[in-house]
Amino acid sequence: MCSSDEELLLDLLVMQSTDAISDKENSELQRLIKEYPEYKNYEFDEIASLAHMSYHLDDNSSHALLPSELKSKILNSHKRIDSLSLYRLKINAFMRSLFDQPTYAWAITALLVMGISFSMIEFKNYNSDFRYLPLERVLLQSTSNDLVEYPWYSKKSDFAMTKGDIVWSNKSQKGFIKISGMPVNDPSKNQYQIWIIDPLKYKQPVDGGVFNVNVTDQDIIIPINPKLPILNAKGFAITLEQPGGVVVSSQELILTAPEIRPSSTFTL
Amino acid sequence: MASLAINQSNYLSKSMTGSIKTQKIEDSILFSLAKEEVGAFEKLVDQYGNLIWSIARRYLSNQTEAEDAVQEVFIAIWKSAGRFDPNKASEITFVSMIARRRLIDHVRKIYRHKKLEPIDNCFDDDALQTKSILDQSTDVKIISEAINQFAEEDKELLSLSIYQGYSHSEISKLMNIPLGTVKTKLRRNLIKLREIFNQDQHTIVSINNV
Repeated sequence: MCSSDEELLLDLLVMQSTDAISDKENSELQRLIKEYPEYKNYEFDEIASLAHMSYHLDDNSSHALLPSELKSKILNSHKRIDSLSLYRLKINAFMRSLFDQPTYAWAITALLVMGISFSMIEFKNYNSDFRYLPLERVLLQSTSNDLVEYPWYSKKSDFAMTKGDIVWSNKSQKGFIKISGMPVNDPSKNQYQIWIIDPLKYKQPVDGGVFNVNVTDQDIIIPINPKLPILNAKGFAITLEQPGGVVVSSQELILTAPEIRPSSTFTL
Repeated sequence: MASLAINQSNYLSKSMTGSIKTQKIEDSILFSLAKEEVGAFEKLVDQYGNLIWSIARRYLSNQTEAEDAVQEVFIAIWKSAGRFDPNKASEITFVSMIARRRLIDHVRKIYRHKKLEPIDNCFDDDALQTKSILDQSTDVKIISEAINQFAEEDKELLSLSIYQGYSHSEISKLMNIPLGTVKTKLRRNLIKLREIFNQDQHTIVSINNV
């Protein structure tokens, strides 16, 4: 006979594998898993996947061939990420071998200090090649262990058709917005501006850069360009501002992520 | 029970292609992938591309979204290949778990529920070839057999939730049953499926070890 807490835990585990689970429910789930260590996260994922495959097998209308263009795209993405990973591994191995020799330590430290200065300049002028943004986004998603991901929620009826998400890593100080269905703006009159909510470090939302939208029928990916170092991003917002953006916004929020507005955005 | 016994003998005859306990790790694409063998990723895409694309198309009606999601799924499988343990799950189960989890997360980020509309006219007879990989999976057969023994209402409820992606509250409205009943029935059926699956796996291993 299950206790009521165990019943709740089983319900939440089933929800986790079959339905949406809110942040609050997830916190409760994690608390209960600690209380009942015989259960684990995603307890029902395996059986739900097998049941899914079983229904899929029976449904002749659902079997499709992977388009050859998509196959090429997947293989190319893998090659690029693989070569990037290899490059990073080589750099790491090289750095380790240098630090193994104490005589180089001071010189390397000095170079690092100079490097940080340069990277801060680069950071302020951060601008990625748009062709590699989808790849960079996937790479960030695959390699960050502190990644936060939220869908965008529209706050104005004009933006009800806007869909997409945001991914962000505090450690990497990097993130991307993916968006579609956003109305095209006239860059000579206004620009969309990204805001990062970091209530522990800043009272005001931090400027995350401005961007233009010139297509509505396909996804666009925009890198987030924080003007200040972010400690712990708790939320994100987008407003429509004058060209170049503003330091403190007085405009209405267009989109927020997550849906529930963090209290620190009340000053927006 | 009789049908299960018949199926068990089928599993034995197909033990090299299906049973998780008889699959050699050296034969696994995921093992090759984890060892960074040349061509392993291509093999993975060849083997599971159609299956993952077919599943993605059910979850995502937008072509671009589906393409992005499938790319993410393959990268996720690649990154997770080192965690694959054939003693815990078959390769297809491992792959489908990652695919399903990624796709569910993807869908939840975009929108709650979607119309299941075809993206393009890529359905043809050749597409049925994608079934073969599932046909060979003993794990899927065990579950199919178990689901077939469920009451019609339970089968429909599982399909709406697990396959068609409806939320519990949407199912409650569609089937005109209380939300609490939806949750209880889903939980009961998943636990029952898992019990049957574990029991059958145990039986297959015992017979194979004789």
